[in-house]
Amino acid sequence: MTHLIVAFVLLNAIILVVAYITLLERKFAARMQSRIGPYYVGWPHGWLQPIADALKLMLKEDVVPTLSDRWVYNLAPLVFLLPCMLIFATIPFAPGLGLADLNIGVLFFLAVSALEIVGLFMGGWGSNNKYALLSAMRAVNQIISYDLPFIFAALVPVVLAGSMQMSAIVVAQQGLFGWFVFYPGIGQLAFLAYVIATIAAENRVPFDILEAESELVAGFRVEYSGMKFALIQLGEYAHLVGTSFLGALLFLGGWLGPGPTWLGPLWFLLKAVLVFLLVTWVRWSFVRIRVDQILAISWKLLLPATVILLLATGFVVAAGFGRGA
Amino acid sequence: MTAEAIGFWLVAAVLLATSLAVVLTPNLFHAVLFLAAALVSTGVVFLLLDAAFLFAVQLLLYAGGVITIMVFAIMLTEQLVGERLRQTSRWVINGAILAAAVFVGVLGFVVRSARPARPPAADRTADLARALVGPFAAPFELLAVLLVAALVGAIYFARTED
Repeated sequence: MTHLIVAFVLLNAIILVVAYITLLERKFAARMQSRIGPYYVGWPHGWLQPIADALKLMLKEDVVPTLSDRWVYNLAPLVFLLPCMLIFATIPFAPGLGLADLNIGVLFFLAVSALEIVGLFMGGWGSNNKYALLSAMRAVNQIISYDLPFIFAALVPVVLAGSMQMSAIVVAQQGLFGWFVFYPGIGQLAFLAYVIATIAAENRVPFDILEAESELVAGFRVEYSGMKFALIQLGEYAHLVGTSFLGALLFLGGWLGPGPTWLGPLWFLLKAVLVFLLVTWVRWSFVRIRVDQILAISWKLLLPATVILLLATGFVVAAGFGRGA
Repeated sequence: MTAEAIGFWLVAAVLLATSLAVVLTPNLFHAVLFLAAALVSTGVVFLLLDAAFLFAVQLLLYAGGVITIMVFAIMLTEQLVGERLRQTSRWVINGAILAAAVFVGVLGFVVRSARPARPPAADRTADLARALVGPFAAPFELLAVLLVAALVGAIYFARTED
């Protein structure tokens, strides 16, 4: 029973964080473009904007295309949202504060987040829309290409810590400059690869060919409206927030930080927001690159680089420089 | 009945239904989606058996990898617009007989083999890793060679004639 309550609270906390991270992104983007961003809904600085957006989307008409594959079309947002929420299950927000600190935590995260693509296909196919289908095809392309570098980059801290358990990885990063991002050479390169692969896996500019607004309108979600659209948006941002949390945990020491232990979750959130802002910063600074360039970056640069990095990490750990218990 | 048993029978029912749907539905894309559901429920069976590592690997490789490749294949072979590919099961009765025979064989094996008195220790991931680089290193490497051979063969067949 306590598990259910914790899960319920956690789920709602995540939805709240995800809602407000969209406001953060809009404000951040506005700053970069010398604008103010959302301002009028709620004082100060339009802080009620996410709530208003959610209400608006709930009240919108739900349109189902006549020639759509009805079951697939209707189920797609749920199938898309489910893995995006499940990934939070293994993340410990402080020592002992998490749903399930599995001994294969990182692997669980990677495996479940790989399921996201099924919902994406269902949306792209079920809509029976050329743009949506093209978008889904591009998504397959991109996800096949960037899943492996993402996994290899995420495995570097796992090898360094000698454990796939999330809490053990954090514990291995204790001490001054103990965070894996400070690990000489390997840490910085792995973090860089992780961030690049995250941007690509989340389909954000400059890797956003699957929802390139000028070509595909809105990609695989072009036919969705109202709450279904909201669920897809929620899933997308939840996945990005989850990946930011994982990045903060793997490379930036999770809940570790100065001050009393109850500040842990706050540090963790701050670090995750930092990773999120890094991704957002890239998004609002660069232009979209071509499909062939995206694939070339993955197969010719990122994949070999991360494999070599992982091998090097293996040698370093075998030489006795690991941080495992 | 314990919660675990109820969970098992639920998952088993879902697994059976989705597996049947894979071969019986005429829509190829639906078949792949049902296959994804069947593979995920297989993973849940692993989870119920306390094999969390196998659950994650099942999801990562099959639901994440194999399904992705299959959808890729469907999308590339099927025209974007126009008539859709249909799955026909002409040999459905023969298949059912064969499946029943295999089921009886497996059942006989399971019934006759001795069951362990209690489940093994919780975390066998490290044991698995040691087995892969220890006693099973040679078969493991051979499998890798087989996969490379399959890959090279696929590229050979798919090359353009010139």
